[in-house]
Amino acid sequence: MLEVKDLTFRYPGTNTAWHFTFQVRPCECIAIQGPSGSGKSTLLNLLAGFLTPESGSVRWNGECLTDLPPWDRPVTSLFQEHNLFEHLDVQTNIGLGIHPGLKLSTDQKRAISRGLASVGLAGFERRMPGDLSGGQRQRVALLRALLRDQPILLLDEPLTGLDAEARSQLRNLLQNHKAEGKVLILASHDAEDRKILADKQLNL
Amino acid sequence: MPKLIPFLLAGVALPLLVNAQDTETLTVYTHPSFAAEWGPGPGVKEAFEQQCDCTLDYVVLESGGDILQRLRLEGSSTGADVVLGLDTGTMETARQTGLLTPHNIGLDALDLPVDWNDSLFVPYDWGYFAFVYDTEQLPNPPESLEELVNSPDDLQIIIQDPRTSTPGLGLLLWMKAFYGDQAGEKWRALSDNILTTTKSWSDGYFSLFMNGEAPMILSYSTSPAYHMAIDKTDRYQAAQFKEGHYLQVEVAALVEPSDQKALAREFLQFILTPDFQRHIPLKNVMYPAIDLGDELPEVFDRLIQPEATLFIDPAEVAQQRQAWLDEWLNAMIP
Amino acid sequence: MQRSLSGSFPAPLSRPAWQVLPGLIIAFVLLALTLAGLAALVWRAPLPAVSELWENRYLANVIRFTVWQAALSTVISLSLGLAIALALVRQPRFPGRSLLLRIMELSLVLPTILAVSGLIGIYGRQGWLTTLVGDWTSASWNLYGLNGILLAHVFFNAPLAGRILLQALESVPSPRRRVASQLGLRGWWLWRTLDWPALRSVLPALCALVFTLCFTSFAIVMTLGGGPASTTLEVAIYQSLRFEFDFGRAALLAMVQLGICGALWLFVVRRGVAHDFAPNRRLAEIIRRPDCRGATRFKDSALLLAFSLFLLLPLGAILLRGLPGLATVAFEAGNPLFDLANATLRSFAIALPAGAFSVMSGLLILTLASRGKALSKISSIASALPLMVPPIVLGTGLFLLLRPALGQPSEGLALVALINGLMALPFVTQLLKGPLTALDENTVRQADQLGLLGWYRWRWLHWPRLRRPMALAMAYGTALSLGDFGVIALFGTPGQPTLPVLLYQQLGSYRMELAAGTALWLITMLLLVFAAFNLASHERGQRKRSESTIETLAEARHA
Repeated sequence: MLEVKDLTFRYPGTNTAWHFTFQVRPCECIAIQGPSGSGKSTLLNLLAGFLTPESGSVRWNGECLTDLPPWDRPVTSLFQEHNLFEHLDVQTNIGLGIHPGLKLSTDQKRAISRGLASVGLAGFERRMPGDLSGGQRQRVALLRALLRDQPILLLDEPLTGLDAEARSQLRNLLQNHKAEGKVLILASHDAEDRKILADKQLNL
Repeated sequence: MPKLIPFLLAGVALPLLVNAQDTETLTVYTHPSFAAEWGPGPGVKEAFEQQCDCTLDYVVLESGGDILQRLRLEGSSTGADVVLGLDTGTMETARQTGLLTPHNIGLDALDLPVDWNDSLFVPYDWGYFAFVYDTEQLPNPPESLEELVNSPDDLQIIIQDPRTSTPGLGLLLWMKAFYGDQAGEKWRALSDNILTTTKSWSDGYFSLFMNGEAPMILSYSTSPAYHMAIDKTDRYQAAQFKEGHYLQVEVAALVEPSDQKALAREFLQFILTPDFQRHIPLKNVMYPAIDLGDELPEVFDRLIQPEATLFIDPAEVAQQRQAWLDEWLNAMIP
Repeated sequence: MQRSLSGSFPAPLSRPAWQVLPGLIIAFVLLALTLAGLAALVWRAPLPAVSELWENRYLANVIRFTVWQAALSTVISLSLGLAIALALVRQPRFPGRSLLLRIMELSLVLPTILAVSGLIGIYGRQGWLTTLVGDWTSASWNLYGLNGILLAHVFFNAPLAGRILLQALESVPSPRRRVASQLGLRGWWLWRTLDWPALRSVLPALCALVFTLCFTSFAIVMTLGGGPASTTLEVAIYQSLRFEFDFGRAALLAMVQLGICGALWLFVVRRGVAHDFAPNRRLAEIIRRPDCRGATRFKDSALLLAFSLFLLLPLGAILLRGLPGLATVAFEAGNPLFDLANATLRSFAIALPAGAFSVMSGLLILTLASRGKALSKISSIASALPLMVPPIVLGTGLFLLLRPALGQPSEGLALVALINGLMALPFVTQLLKGPLTALDENTVRQADQLGLLGWYRWRWLHWPRLRRPMALAMAYGTALSLGDFGVIALFGTPGQPTLPVLLYQQLGSYRMELAAGTALWLITMLLLVFAAFNLASHERGQRKRSESTIETLAEARHA
């Protein structure tokens, strides 16, 4: 279970402070809602460890995450864009999610190919992100997130720029992922996304 | 049998060791134009090694001034046995380092335009500073220093900076030697004719003079010998000035901390023999320090023969140089 | 090793110390060497009174002139460099573009004596262009004086500035470029949205770099300056060391030089290196700018052509003089060809390690920059230090310290390679800084999260993006060492010359033809170095760069 308690953050040089407190259980998705600039991305970055809070704590199954660097946290982030490394091909991008030294077993490599086929990108292993459309890039990024298989998934406008069919396809994937016992934290403008995926809501 | 092997090896090695000790090495600090392939260096080395049954090693430094600097920097731990390439301009400063020791050789063979009886320095060649000009661009060069100083602005010359170059300093001393206290004024008059002052002789000769930028450059009276003998052209000649030309003598000296003093003295003695001196005229493009007689290339007969030799005592140069440089600077800066 | 909560093993070389220590060590070594060099001089002789600096009319004039000519040169070089960079970024494809870039890289590493010779051959009194113009018009010009100095400095530095500015302009994030393209922005607004932000972060350091180069320039100023009125501080230092043996005075003047340049760099560093995590897709993505058509195209072409001629003509002059010289080298008796070959091998044996060393230290010092303010300042100062200290001062000082200890000739050569490598550091860091730091924020965060640290980060994130800049940096380091004369003269081996030493030997012995041939050969080697490294840095099976189509605005929503 993910427990966020009195997590406080203030951007240097401003007066507005954010406070977050909530809980999420495995198999749950919480949707963060609020107008632009209300702190959705900030919260996700705090949970991932990219920003350091002033005070408060984040706990996962009782273990405190607040002092851990991003690579030691059991989270995967999915941003709105720039998720992929532009100079590396699709297979490498996904593979690095599994092992940062790209030491993959044959099974893992097969899993990548299967995954690509399942999102409609069969045979795209050697393509470069620059050659893909926005939607295709998001699918690759999502695939990496799923294959990384971390218990917590942080989603920041993940389905923007996708057509309706792709959207529903990926939503299904996320739902399946959730059902495996993961925790999803979703920030999205799309009401449909929120309705289908989220179990709870956090208003900022 | 195996026990004998070490003895056998020793037996073979010993003569080698002994032989190795026989070949002594003489280290000579010098500058690029001497030690280069086309300079006198290789020929001198071969000749001397035959005579002395030793090895002659050149340590090549950037310039004459650098030789002195290196000596000073190394101090008493220097590896030099002989320094070759100082000149009358830098002699005094070298003397003051205290790192040189009397050569104790006879200087009778010397054939210089001035009397020479210095205990530390052995001359190995000499020359006059002169303005070399391009006969195609300047068919009627000035015939005296005075004429040059007063010539119209369209006669442009290239000189070297006395602060960084020995020929440059040579011109400064030349003007001083002839004009004495009037030197400052004369420099002011000359300044309109100066195209530019270069950092070194090489910079000027290569980039400017050979590009035809100016018809005259400060150089040596012997420079044309090279063009005539090797390039086979009479195009470049030296202008002879009525007042006389300033003398430069290049010298070698024995270094005090050397542990090869006997060999070094042998080398210094060697300098004054034809075996050394015959390499000087066309490879160093200077006059030999001794009378080479017929061995002097015939082009040397076609060089200018100054009527008077101007020369200021090196000790006085060392003392007054700063003041004279300041005078020059004041004259040249508008 | 303990697995973290995320289940990942730590990446090799990922401990923070690895990020910081090597760079810090190198920075301190640099600093120590410089201080040691100065200290050694002062130890030999006491410092004269500081008041001498302004009381001595000559010295005061020298300082004033040095600053003035450097400032003017910088302004002109940067303006021209900017114009060229803009023209190049507007016209991303035309025949001969890469050749022009190669030539631009070349001009900085050309040994002074060659460049001056070439410039005089074209712009001098008997120069080709001067006589041509003189035949057609009645205009005449005098190369010798301030204009000569400016011309030479611009020849050296405008291409460098152009190269660095071009790199900055090309790394503008593509979403921004696409928006500009679609909106049809031109003129002032294009400048404001696209170009200026990219240039802003690079300009201060570039200004300082060019200023320092012009400030410490020596032989050019003397030869083309026309007389003692044009004297830089370096002459005074050179004279003090070589002829007066006044070590104290030399040290004082060196400190003045360090002070002036150092103050400039400190000012630049204070303003902070803009770690602008601008989004950066594939660097070479070609998006047509709205201002690349029509009249602008014509103007750009004219400018680029003129600039190319400006650079090529002096090189052409050297070529013309050199070709007959090379023939002499090849066919004359006394094996000058053999000497040339030997000298070439020797030169490369020193230059290649020097280049490698400069790139390595450059990268290590640059990694310091992202680790906090203090380290970032150390990083900037260390990378600029070699520029400010006169090589003759450093060399003499180091000689005092190290020479007695140096035994084998090969140790001396190794030291030369080391110093040459350090000399190239300022250029290398300028070249590598941009590509190293210009990473999109989210991309960096992904890398953090995935555990791409230490070696992995280098292997997957930095190396692919740095290949080309590193190749260029290595080329610079190698080329600078190839053309160096000062350091090798101090620590070099007896009578076994490198190419520049060979050149000076030939010059000193009146062998002008051979010298011209050697000069041409040296330039060819320099060009070869740049071409070779450029070739080596191309990826295998170079992917075709497709011209990007204009995407919708929705895509270009910023993060």
